[in-house]
Amino acid sequence: MNFPSEGTLRRAIAFVAALGVGVATYITIAESGGGAPACLAGGGGCATVANSSYSEIAGINVAILGIVGYLILLGTAFFANDAARFLGFAAALGGFGFSIYLTYLEIFTIEAICQWCVASAVLMTVLFLLNATRLIGYAGTTTSAAVPEQG
Amino acid sequence: MSNKREREKRREERLQAEAKVDSGDRRTKLLQWAAGAVFLAIVAVVVLIVVNSGSEGGDAENLQGASEVDALVGNVPQNGMTLGKPSAKVELIEYGDLQCPACKAFADEVLPQVIENRVDSGEAKITFHNFAFLGEQSAPAGAAALAAGEQGRGWNFLELFYRNQGTENSGYADDAFLKAVAEGAGVKDIAQWESDRESAKVTGEVQRTTAEAQRLGFEGTPSFAVEGPKTNGLELLGTPNGAEEIEEAIDAAG
Repeated sequence: MNFPSEGTLRRAIAFVAALGVGVATYITIAESGGGAPACLAGGGGCATVANSSYSEIAGINVAILGIVGYLILLGTAFFANDAARFLGFAAALGGFGFSIYLTYLEIFTIEAICQWCVASAVLMTVLFLLNATRLIGYAGTTTSAAVPEQG
Repeated sequence: MSNKREREKRREERLQAEAKVDSGDRRTKLLQWAAGAVFLAIVAVVVLIVVNSGSEGGDAENLQGASEVDALVGNVPQNGMTLGKPSAKVELIEYGDLQCPACKAFADEVLPQVIENRVDSGEAKITFHNFAFLGEQSAPAGAAALAAGEQGRGWNFLELFYRNQGTENSGYADDAFLKAVAEGAGVKDIAQWESDRESAKVTGEVQRTTAEAQRLGFEGTPSFAVEGPKTNGLELLGTPNGAEEIEEAIDAAG
């Protein structure tokens, strides 16, 4: 099987993870900007989702967890070793699984779709595919590819 | 000389082969770990979804928190949807939707402090007005609370409802749920409550206060207003950032 070079994968991971940091940061700021939570009259899906009890886990805003996850993924793109490959895969897997759960909640429980959350879920899915490809293609190899340029 | 070169060559080949085996071992191990992680992730997502689908509130047969509600409002005078001494100088008005999770959060985390510090002392009274906009069951739930208020149990109903609130617009707030909350809230005459909650007086009041909230320009729930000797009519607070902000507004109004 022909894999893209690890350098290409790492650059792609860095680029998508940076986008993810942006999206998650936007959601965090947008949610905190409103002050106290309120159920908005005529508000869109995002307000409903952000105000639902599912927007926090143990008091931590889910979007902040997202920022942390994307930063870890961004970090793993800067190293070409097995630890980074595996950590990247594990973080993307966790993020991907969590995105599936959150999307399930949006559709079936909260019954509101927030486009920013969907954007994050798509980015996490892409990151999962990229990291899985990287791990399968390059686990056990020792390459010394250059640090990827930020997209 | 050639022997030495051959030995070196063999040694190099052996090292390379070992490195290859090493790297192959590492690769196998990593991929095994990855497969394990995938398995764990699948289990975690399935468990989360199953647990979540079984833990939604709104369970009429298993109401929680009746004793907490009693402790909070049991000893405070009630008149209709007003909690507190009728003689209190300041009136705090809450515009809420029983289905709204933020109103539940206020009932859980903000209002108890206000009730203990300002209502119990007789400084202020709180009146609940329906701003029923979230869904089909919002207005009937609000009417059910008003009907409980006709029997002096309006705040018991509100507080007990919020403590058992289900997922917004999931259909949990049906007749059976409302009746269970009314019974749990200590509404004595359930037949009267049933007829009151359908009455034109009560349903009209829900519509009136909802329209009033919109006219006042409130954009979400819970929204608050305060009125007292030092305010110029109703003073709008919007959605305050916590109990302290509400208490300051009460102090400023009185």
